[in-house]
Amino acid sequence: MGGWAQFKAIVRKDLIRELRTRDMLVSMILFVILAMIIFHYAFTVEEGSDLTWFTGGMLWVTFIFAMLLGLNRSFAQEKDERCLDGLLLCPVDRVTIFLAKTAGNLVFLLIIQAVAVPVFALFFIERSFLGDLLPFLVVLLLADLGICSLGTLLATISMNTRSRDLLLPILFLPLIVPVLIAATGATTLIFAEGTGFGSLAMRMLFLLGFDAVFLVAAWGTYDFAIGE
Amino acid sequence: MSDGQDRQDGGAPLEIEVEGLRKTFGRREVLKGLSFGVPRGGFLSIFGPNGAGKTTTLRVLATLLTASAGTVKVAGHDVREDPMPVRRAIGLISHNAMLYPDLTAQENLRFYADMYGLTDADERISDLLERLELSARRYDVVRTYSKGMRQRLAIARAVLHRPRVLLLDEPHSGLDPRAVDILDGLLAEIRDEHTFVMVTHNIAKGLEWGTKLMIIEGGRIAYEHAAGVDHDAFSAVYREHVHDGSVL
Repeated sequence: MGGWAQFKAIVRKDLIRELRTRDMLVSMILFVILAMIIFHYAFTVEEGSDLTWFTGGMLWVTFIFAMLLGLNRSFAQEKDERCLDGLLLCPVDRVTIFLAKTAGNLVFLLIIQAVAVPVFALFFIERSFLGDLLPFLVVLLLADLGICSLGTLLATISMNTRSRDLLLPILFLPLIVPVLIAATGATTLIFAEGTGFGSLAMRMLFLLGFDAVFLVAAWGTYDFAIGE
Repeated sequence: MSDGQDRQDGGAPLEIEVEGLRKTFGRREVLKGLSFGVPRGGFLSIFGPNGAGKTTTLRVLATLLTASAGTVKVAGHDVREDPMPVRRAIGLISHNAMLYPDLTAQENLRFYADMYGLTDADERISDLLERLELSARRYDVVRTYSKGMRQRLAIARAVLHRPRVLLLDEPHSGLDPRAVDILDGLLAEIRDEHTFVMVTHNIAKGLEWGTKLMIIEGGRIAYEHAAGVDHDAFSAVYREHVHDGSVL
């Protein structure tokens, strides 16, 4: 049995379930939109205030908290009716489960961002950044991969604990800070100045390194993490 | 001996071999050195009170828990060292359906068929749904099913990949009489081709199906006997070994 076919089966199952129930997507989109409205009123104290240098931070803090909501739910459904046992009974490499769950979470985060970024631009960005869309998308993908790989690993570890709703943020938020710093810096530069790949290279490399570290870490530990 | 399948029990090679199985959760030792074997085609009925370690034993056989000590082989493969062939060889029917409530019966079985790499998935799914009288509801989400229907679908999930060994954890629990009949009918149909381990509180069912009977109490085997014991005699033995046990 090929791991690729099993990967596709798990991703397809998660997408069908989510598109049917919209449990995760609706709560994440609502959270993101409400957070932006609150930011809009909280930071627009004076007419004409320049929020450009806050934009990257606002955007990524919103995405990270929205993802926390989604991560808790993505494993809650596996615990329903002990579906996780059914999955673990299958002859599937545990790393395939990790990669498929990470890919599913990545798809959900990208859907949220496809809705949220235009709304965010409408509220907070004064200059058009369409010319810098490619570097922005690269930063988005690299940061998303880090958020989803770390988030999936930690959601797996915390799902078997009684205080998983508390444990996940306690583990996730400190560890995601490096991604937050790099993604915020890169995004703010793009929104404020419009910058090419050259000045973002170090931040992108950092994000790539973070992604690699947590993908490898999950590779080595996921069997243990998803076990007992 | 070099391979578990070389060992014999009453003439048939052993399909399940357990030697000195111990399982600890924190400081609590739940299994305290179980040793038993089930020959190919055998049916082991395990009885015992709640908390005796029956389900833990089954979950170790199913590779869902790792033994703290001892060796466990299923279908000739060590469950810890070589779990993939074990997972291909086993099916688990539990009182938890292990089905995704927001997917249809068809989608649930298709998912598991893909996970097991079945090449004849469509035919197999249609055949099982027909036999389990679920064809008419195959495109309904499982959330709308009754407990009995879910349990029937759980049976289809467990036997979908044609496992050699079936592990049954309280399979009759919560079933209506019709679902019990369907489950028993299916078990009778596949009885000769499979090896079974059934954990149950239902002594009548355990005696009806079992070729070997076992009582686990406090993480140890308190009683082990070949089939052929009548209900009253076994109930007396059960009461003797399990002080707080109620028997059915």
